[in-house]
Amino acid sequence: MEDSQNAAPGSVSANKLGGARKAADPGQNAAKRLQTELMMLMTSPAPGVSAFPSADGNLLSWRATIEGPDDTPYAGLTFKLSFEFPSNYPYAPPTVIYRTPIYHPNVDFSGRICLDILKDKWTAAYNIQTVLLSLQSLLGEPNNSSPLNGEAAELWEKDPALFKSKVMDRHKDLEDD
Amino acid sequence: MPPAVASPSPWRRRRRLVFQSVFQTDVSQPTPQVTPCARFPDQGQPFGGHGRSVTAGSDHGLAHAPTTTDLSSSSQSTIAATSRSDLYAPQPLFPSLVAAGNDQVAYDRAWHVVTARIALPSSATADDSFGTLPPDSQLYPASQQVVGSDQEFYDALALVVHASNLLPRATHTEDIIAWHAQQVRAHFAQHVIPLLSGCVEEEGDEEGGEAEVEAARGVGRSGTKRKSNYYERHIVIVMSSIRTLEAALRLYFYGLSLLVRGFGRLVNGSASEPAAAEAELLAARFRRDIRALVGNSASEDLMRSVRVVLVRLSSTILGMQTTDDGAAESAPPIRPSPPTDEDVKALAARQRLHELVEQLYNVGLAGERFQVLFAEIMDSMMSKFVNGAYAGVWTLSSTSSRSFSAAANTISQRANLSQQSTSPCILGLSDWIENHFARLSFEVLSRVSSDPSTSPVTLSDVKTYQSLALGRLAALRIAELFDIALAWPRSRCALDDLRSTITSTARRLQLTSNFSRTLQTRLLHPGCSTLEILRTYIAIIRTFHALDPSKVLLSHIEPSLQLYLCQREDAVRVVVTGLLASVDEIRDARKAKEFAERQHQSKTPKGDAESGPLLTPTISRRGNYRTPGPTRRSQASTPDPVVKDLPDTAVAAFGGRATANKLVELAFLLNDPTQTRRAASEDDELDWNDMSWVPDPVDAGANYKRPKSEDVIGTLISALGSEETFIKEFSSVVAGRLLGESARFDQELRVLDLLKRRFGEAALQNCDVMIRDVQDSRRVDAAIKRQREKAMGGNRATETPLRTPTVKKGTEAEEFEAQHQARILSRLFWPDLEREHFLLPTPIVEYQQWYEHGYETLKSKRKLTWLNQLGQARVELELEDRTVVVDCSTIEATVIYAFQDPDATRGNDGPARRSVDELYNQLQLDEDLISEALTFWVGKGVLRRVAPGTFVVVETLASSAAAESTSGDAEAAAVASPSEGDGEAETSGGASPRKQDSGSGLSAKEKERRAMYWQYVKGMLTNASASMPLAQVSMMMKMLVPDGFPWSGEELQEFLGEKVTAGDLEVVGGKYRLVRK
Repeated sequence: MEDSQNAAPGSVSANKLGGARKAADPGQNAAKRLQTELMMLMTSPAPGVSAFPSADGNLLSWRATIEGPDDTPYAGLTFKLSFEFPSNYPYAPPTVIYRTPIYHPNVDFSGRICLDILKDKWTAAYNIQTVLLSLQSLLGEPNNSSPLNGEAAELWEKDPALFKSKVMDRHKDLEDD
Repeated sequence: MPPAVASPSPWRRRRRLVFQSVFQTDVSQPTPQVTPCARFPDQGQPFGGHGRSVTAGSDHGLAHAPTTTDLSSSSQSTIAATSRSDLYAPQPLFPSLVAAGNDQVAYDRAWHVVTARIALPSSATADDSFGTLPPDSQLYPASQQVVGSDQEFYDALALVVHASNLLPRATHTEDIIAWHAQQVRAHFAQHVIPLLSGCVEEEGDEEGGEAEVEAARGVGRSGTKRKSNYYERHIVIVMSSIRTLEAALRLYFYGLSLLVRGFGRLVNGSASEPAAAEAELLAARFRRDIRALVGNSASEDLMRSVRVVLVRLSSTILGMQTTDDGAAESAPPIRPSPPTDEDVKALAARQRLHELVEQLYNVGLAGERFQVLFAEIMDSMMSKFVNGAYAGVWTLSSTSSRSFSAAANTISQRANLSQQSTSPCILGLSDWIENHFARLSFEVLSRVSSDPSTSPVTLSDVKTYQSLALGRLAALRIAELFDIALAWPRSRCALDDLRSTITSTARRLQLTSNFSRTLQTRLLHPGCSTLEILRTYIAIIRTFHALDPSKVLLSHIEPSLQLYLCQREDAVRVVVTGLLASVDEIRDARKAKEFAERQHQSKTPKGDAESGPLLTPTISRRGNYRTPGPTRRSQASTPDPVVKDLPDTAVAAFGGRATANKLVELAFLLNDPTQTRRAASEDDELDWNDMSWVPDPVDAGANYKRPKSEDVIGTLISALGSEETFIKEFSSVVAGRLLGESARFDQELRVLDLLKRRFGEAALQNCDVMIRDVQDSRRVDAAIKRQREKAMGGNRATETPLRTPTVKKGTEAEEFEAQHQARILSRLFWPDLEREHFLLPTPIVEYQQWYEHGYETLKSKRKLTWLNQLGQARVELELEDRTVVVDCSTIEATVIYAFQDPDATRGNDGPARRSVDELYNQLQLDEDLISEALTFWVGKGVLRRVAPGTFVVVETLASSAAAESTSGDAEAAAVASPSEGDGEAETSGGASPRKQDSGSGLSAKEKERRAMYWQYVKGMLTNASASMPLAQVSMMMKMLVPDGFPWSGEELQEFLGEKVTAGDLEVVGGKYRLVRK
């Protein structure tokens, strides 16, 4: 009788501990997953895109680079992005922002991106590399039906030359920290 | 009368003038003022009137006009009259103006009489006057002719002392005691101090012609005993100073005694008790003042001499070896040990010290400065004794046991002090403190203390001394701790000392910080091999466990060690191979240990005389001793694990070999039952029946858990970083061993069990599978062979020795017969095994194909992939004049097989000849591996290099000898005599295959790895930050590369350096950055 009484609180606390561990797990999982993704990026790099955790050693914060595809107004330009991963990654999308100023129909002037797979269409099957490749292709094929930058969307259709010059005006290589 | 009164020294006069000019006030004066009239108006005192004071002044002046002799007679009568009238009529005296003047005159005369009597001599030849003083200073038996003046003196004294009553009108009164004190001071400063410094200088001067120095030197002049002179010289200084002071003090006290006697008479007259007490008080105060004066004015030189003398005497008393003791004893440094009671020298020194201290006290040199000095000396004595007597004494030697037995009877009676410590050092030290140190302190302090009622050294003081001494001992042991750890377990005694002395948290902290520092300087540097570090680590674990079973201390020093070990890549491998050391190696190690211990015992001079037979021949053979397998194995089967009857030579050889290259201690510990005993119940923190329970140490960490056993292996494994790396390394080592020739894997299984208990079954599943693979393949092998026998009928493949593809080849033999055995490994569970491509000899290939077939029928849908380079072969070479049997790797076997290909060089009518290129074409084997294999065979005396890249078979030894004489190059010399070079070559050859496998496996893998690391670096410098210092790159790599980044900073730097030279990177301001293309 006594034993069972004594045992009961212990088992409860054990459950609590287990619960706590489960709650703590996702962050751990995210880090692990990101490490694996990094490994993948490193062993099979995709041309024109690269990404790496930020220099402060926080695995949930990455920096990425996209080179503008050749047959687009962005050819020859390099764009830096930042990735911020939630602790429940990959079950929630990362927050991706252009750090390099870019003139693009789906990117606003503070670098925020309108891309469905970074919002409601996100699934855990996506990864950094696919996101980067999507963003790279978005440079060549903007989604002009839902622009963040209306002027850019218009110019893209009407005046590619002006668009190109606006792109060059806006672009400015980041001084690296 | 001394001439002092008649001619006051010019100095004193000058001083008075100066004083007056500054303060405008009257100072005490030994003689009445001659012309004070000019002064009175200036002072403006409310007392009396100005006009009157002028007349008084003239009177005053008149009264002083007579000569000294007149004065003495007249003053006597005046004083006698006045005092008498005062005594009998103590009413307020006549308020007349004249009376005031008279009072003053009377007072001044009385004052004069008194001061003249007690004035001190001031001649330059004062030292002589010290000598002539005694007749005067014989206090009470005053000589006849001074009786009269005595009476006069006492009367005058009465007037002076009771001036306020007897001569109320005398405005200038003085305190005679203060005057005397001041006079003494002046005299002391003027005459005695120069004398004292004269003593010091004369004696301190080496060339001083003093007779005493000469006398002292006369003893030591003949020998080289300068030191002795040193002491003698100092004691002479001290003694002459004391004599000088004694004489001076006699002089001073003479005056004082007169005063006191005068007071005494007064008291008798008035019969007032408080007055007597007051006189005594005054005298005591004077004495105290004089002592303070002497004590404070003693020169530095004198105190230094006192120090030398005290140090010398007290160290003799305390049993310390003094350097100048004598020629006979000075040769070897003797450990201090408490002197016995019948030690004459100590007794004499004690006697001398007592006298000296008493003398010092009497002359006032035993004041505060002396006590400070003595305290300092005793302090240094304690340190000296502890360091001298116990440094390096870790074992119970004969001397310490002697002191132990001597101490036992005193200590045991005082159980409250000894904190259940049984260490002989501590007992000896406590005894020394109590019976020698404290005794000396008591003797000295009781002689200098002014208050005899209280004991200067109480029992609590003794305890304080003891705890201080234990503190010193602890400090000593802490400083020695690293060596103690190295000497484990011989140093157990020292640990006992330490354990019972580190009782406070501060000391524990001191211990850990000190030890960590020592670790850094003595162990954790590139000069130490990983093996050494690990071996020391084991010793440290065991030492600290003995020191502190709670392991808290260990946990404090461990981090730096662990951090450093993590940088050592081979650390895990050393541990794993150590764990897997065979029974033979364990026994060898144990014997080596016994041997080392015996050797140590025979080396220590105090060790008992039973040392084994002489061991000199062992050294020459150490190193290239090789255990012949079969015979050792037969010994292994003997039931007695400790083979006692082996000669010491063999033991030494084992020791040299076994301890040199493997961490066998681990295997040793693995078999130790006390190590494996783990707490069965981990969670019963509250075992109410555990009577030996003690609370956790105060400096334990937050999640501290009390360990139950020493658990060296566990500590070590946990120290080596994550279990993943450990398991990985373990499985790769085990893989190598499983593929080796050993038939049984007891050791591996035991280690596996141990690791399973530690890491859990799941983590070690791979190893389980690996072992099962090897066991299974034996069965599969047998099954396939049976099939083949059935199929081929005639071919009789008998039970084979356990070899992988075992091949027998004969260069001459026509008939080919080979016995094979394959090991089938489950690819997923083994560590990555590189596949090395080369063409095996055709018979083997045929056999392989057939075996594959058999396997596929046995286990459907499974395919075999041969790892040709991992095998082992026994090759029998029949040469013209000899047969060579060699165990070698399959690559080596294949290469030598290529030399026997029948159709290649038969026609040449000479020994077979091949070049590396030919072999490369024929075998499609990596050229490096071909060269290695060729070198192997050259070492075996089977091949000989005739030209760069070309080798021939050595068919006869004679031809090889001939070739050696003609060519005479290095290779031939290596071949020269197989019988001699055999052992050496064989060992190196035996070691080569595995190394070579891993080496070749690594090179491809390594390349891949480097490519990947380069990707990381590129990604890092593209994205994370454009430029980074090496340390940050290294840190990021360590954090991000899965399975850990094994490179050290230097390796990474080298790697990045390569990239810099390749033009991919550049270094800007100490930071790496990518070159913009």
